[in-house]
Amino acid sequence: MILLEDVHFAYDGLYTALRGVSLQIDECERIAIVGSNGAGKTTLVKHLNGLLRPDQGRVILDGVDTKHFSVAELAREIGLVMQNPDHQLFLDSVEREVLFSLENLGYSKEESKARCNRTLNNLGLEGLSERSPFTLSGGERKRVALASVLATEPRILSLDEPTIGQDARQKENLAKMLGELNEKGKAVIVVTHDIEFVIENFPRTIAMANGRIIADGPTNSVLSNDDVLERCSLTRPQLTETARCLHKVFPEVTERLTLIDDLEAVVVKVLGGG
Amino acid sequence: MPLIEFIDFSFKYLGADSLALRKVNLNISDGEYVVITGPSGCGKTTLCRAINGLVPQFHRGYIAGNVTVDGKNTRAHNVADFAPIAGLVFQQPENQLVTLNVEREIAFGPENLGVEPTEIRRRVDELIDMLDLEHLREKHPHEMSGGEQQRVAIAATLALKPKVLVADEPTSNLDPQSAETILDLIADLNRRDLTVVLVEHRLDLVSKDASRVVLMDQGCIVADGEPRDVLSMDICQEIGVGIPKATQLYKRLKQRGFNLDKVPLTGAELAILVQEAKQR
Amino acid sequence: MSIVLALVSLLFLSIIPLLIIFCCLVPIIGAAKSLRRWSRSMKGLSVLLIFIIIFNTLLSTQPNPFSHSIALTLRLVALMTSFSIFFLTVHPDELSQSLIQMRVRFEFAFAMSMAMRYVPTLGQEAYAIMDAQKARGVELDKGNLLKRIRNIVPIIVPLIIVSIRRALSIAESMESRGFGASAHRTYMTVLKFRKRDWAVVIISFLVLVLVVYVRLFMSLPTWMLWELPI
Repeated sequence: MILLEDVHFAYDGLYTALRGVSLQIDECERIAIVGSNGAGKTTLVKHLNGLLRPDQGRVILDGVDTKHFSVAELAREIGLVMQNPDHQLFLDSVEREVLFSLENLGYSKEESKARCNRTLNNLGLEGLSERSPFTLSGGERKRVALASVLATEPRILSLDEPTIGQDARQKENLAKMLGELNEKGKAVIVVTHDIEFVIENFPRTIAMANGRIIADGPTNSVLSNDDVLERCSLTRPQLTETARCLHKVFPEVTERLTLIDDLEAVVVKVLGGG
Repeated sequence: MPLIEFIDFSFKYLGADSLALRKVNLNISDGEYVVITGPSGCGKTTLCRAINGLVPQFHRGYIAGNVTVDGKNTRAHNVADFAPIAGLVFQQPENQLVTLNVEREIAFGPENLGVEPTEIRRRVDELIDMLDLEHLREKHPHEMSGGEQQRVAIAATLALKPKVLVADEPTSNLDPQSAETILDLIADLNRRDLTVVLVEHRLDLVSKDASRVVLMDQGCIVADGEPRDVLSMDICQEIGVGIPKATQLYKRLKQRGFNLDKVPLTGAELAILVQEAKQR
Repeated sequence: MSIVLALVSLLFLSIIPLLIIFCCLVPIIGAAKSLRRWSRSMKGLSVLLIFIIIFNTLLSTQPNPFSHSIALTLRLVALMTSFSIFFLTVHPDELSQSLIQMRVRFEFAFAMSMAMRYVPTLGQEAYAIMDAQKARGVELDKGNLLKRIRNIVPIIVPLIIVSIRRALSIAESMESRGFGASAHRTYMTVLKFRKRDWAVVIISFLVLVLVVYVRLFMSLPTWMLWELPI
C-alpha cells in the first residue's frame, strides 16, 4: 500500500536523518518502529504523510508518488498523531476539535457531525464533548487528539510515542482500540520505546539506528537480538530476560519466549505438571 | 521521629471537581527507598508536591490535615525553606535546566539560598565528579540527551544537600537504557544514605531496590508495605497497575497450584525459585 | 569600546577613512573568533546594502552620487559591525551577571537570560505545532491574506498554552530550588574589572577624543577625501 524507496533526507541539508531507507507497508499490518533518539523514527513517519519530502528516493502510495499530493490531501489517507496532544488542541470544546479536522479535509457538515459522534463514542469521550480540552487531564487530552485524527478514518494511522505517561490500564485500552482499527483493515504504525507494549501488540518491528533500518521482521526475532537492542537504546524485555535466566537452569527452556502464556506453560511443564 | 509525616492530609486543587488526596496517612523514615505507584490521577504527583510545600504554597486549594517534613509543617513555611530538606526532580528534564551551562545549573540552588561562593564552587565540582558530568561541563542543555539532562537536574537538586530526594516519574520521557541508568543512580544514592521517594510505573526496574511500595488509587493509599507483599496483592491488577512480569508469573503459577517459596521481583529470582521448587 | 567605534564611524562620510575603520574592525572580530558568524550576517545584509547603493545613487543630490552611496554603505556596515562586536563577544550569562552587578534586580536579569535559554526550545515547539496542524489538513501556505491570518490561530493558541504550561513547570522547579527565597543571593562567578579592562576603556576614550578633535578642528588631507569619479 505504501512504499519507501531508498529515501534519503537531511534537515536543512546538513543533518542527515535518513540514509537510504526502504520499506513496504500493507493494509492490516501492525508495525512498531523502535530506535534510539535521533535514529530517524519520527523523520521516517513524517515522510509517510508528506510533512517531510525525501531529498532522494521516493514515497509511493497506491502506486503513485506522494510528491503529487499536498500534506492536506495525504491527510485523508494517512493520519499522524503526534506525541504531545497540546500541540494540536486549540478550540474550546472537544467536539469542535474533532470537527475541525473533518472540515479541513472537506467533509460536509452532516458527514462531519456523524463521524465526530461515532469517533467520540468509540473512544469513550461522548460525555466530554462540550468540555474544553484544556480542562481535561493529560490522558484525556491524548484521547481527544487521537479522536480528531481517527475521525477522518485514514487508511494508515501512525502514532508517535502514544504510551508515554499512560498507566497500564490506559495502555490496554489503547492496544484494544488499535487492534479493532486493524481488524477494520487499517494499517497501524507506532513509534515507541515501550518494548513490552510492542511485544504484546505488534507482530512486526522495524528497528532503526543512525538513519538506517537495521532490522525489519517479526517482533519476536528482532527484539531477541541483543545487538539490535543495544543499538536502539533498548533493554531486554522482561520475559526474554526471565526466559534466559530459566534457560541457564533448565536448558530445555528456549531463550526466545516472549509471551507470558508461553512462559507459564513451559514453567508448569518443568515443574512436572500440565 | 519520621522524616516525612502525612497526618490525615487531604487536598483539592482550586477549580477541581474532586479531592486529589483524601486523608492520606504516611510516614517515611530516614534511609528508606519508597516507591509510589498507582493509575493515572491517583494523586501521586500531588503527594510529591506536598512534601516540599509546593502544595499548598504554590498550588492553591483546599487543605485539611498536616504534612510535617523534618519537623516543619508545610502550611507554615515557604517552599524555599524546604529546598535544603527535600529536593524535587520532575518529569521533563527540559523544564528543570534553566541556565546555559551545567556549572551554573548546579550552582543555581545554593546561590538562591545565599551559600558562600567558595562552598558553591566546591559543591559544583564535587557533584560533577560524583555524577560523572565532566564532559558536559560547558554544554548547553539543548545539546544534551534526555538522560544527560536528567542527570544534571539530579545534580542541581543534590547541590542543596537535601535529606530526601523526591522524584516524580523522572524516566517517563527517557529511552529504556537512559531510564535504567537514572534509576541505578537513584538506587546508588539511596545506598549512600539518601532517603528516596520515587513515583514510577516501571516497577520491574525499581522494586528490587526499593524498601517499600505504596499503592495509591483515587487519592487514597490502598497498600503500603514491602515490595514482595504489595506487588503480589490482587488489588494491583484490579486498579490497573503493571507489576513485574516475574511477579505475574508467580501469581499465575500459584493459581495452578505451584507455590514458590518467595515472591520474585525479577526473572533471575524466578529462575532460582523454580529450581528450588523442582528440587523439592 | 563598541560604542566608541560606532561613534567614530558616524563621524566620517568619505570612503577612505571608513575603509580604515573597517580594517580596524575586522581583526577585532577575528580576535573574538567570530569571523564566521559575522560574515554570515553580512551576507544576509548584502541584499539590503545593494538596495541602498542603487537607490541612493539614483536619487541622491550629491555631486558624486555613487561614491556617496558607497560611503554611506560602508558607514552602515561599520556601525553594525561595531555593535555586533558587543553581542558576539559577550556571553549572555556575563551580560546578565553584569546587569546584576550594576544593581539591576536579579529577577529581571534572570528573566532575560532565561528568555535566551528557551528561545531554541520555543522555536522547536512552534515547528512541532505547525507539523501537527498540517497533519490535520491545515494549509499554512495557501489562500489569500485573510485566510492566512486566520490560519495563524491554530498555531498561536497551542504555542501560548504550551508556553504557559512550560512556564509553570519551570517555576515549580525554580521554587523548589529556593528561587526568590532571599533578596541576598550569592553568585559563584563574579565579574571583575581588571587592569586590562581599564586599559581598553581609557584607550577607547582617548581615541574618541582624538578623532572628534581631528574631525571638528582639522581639515583632512586631500587624499583622505578622495571620491570615486561618479
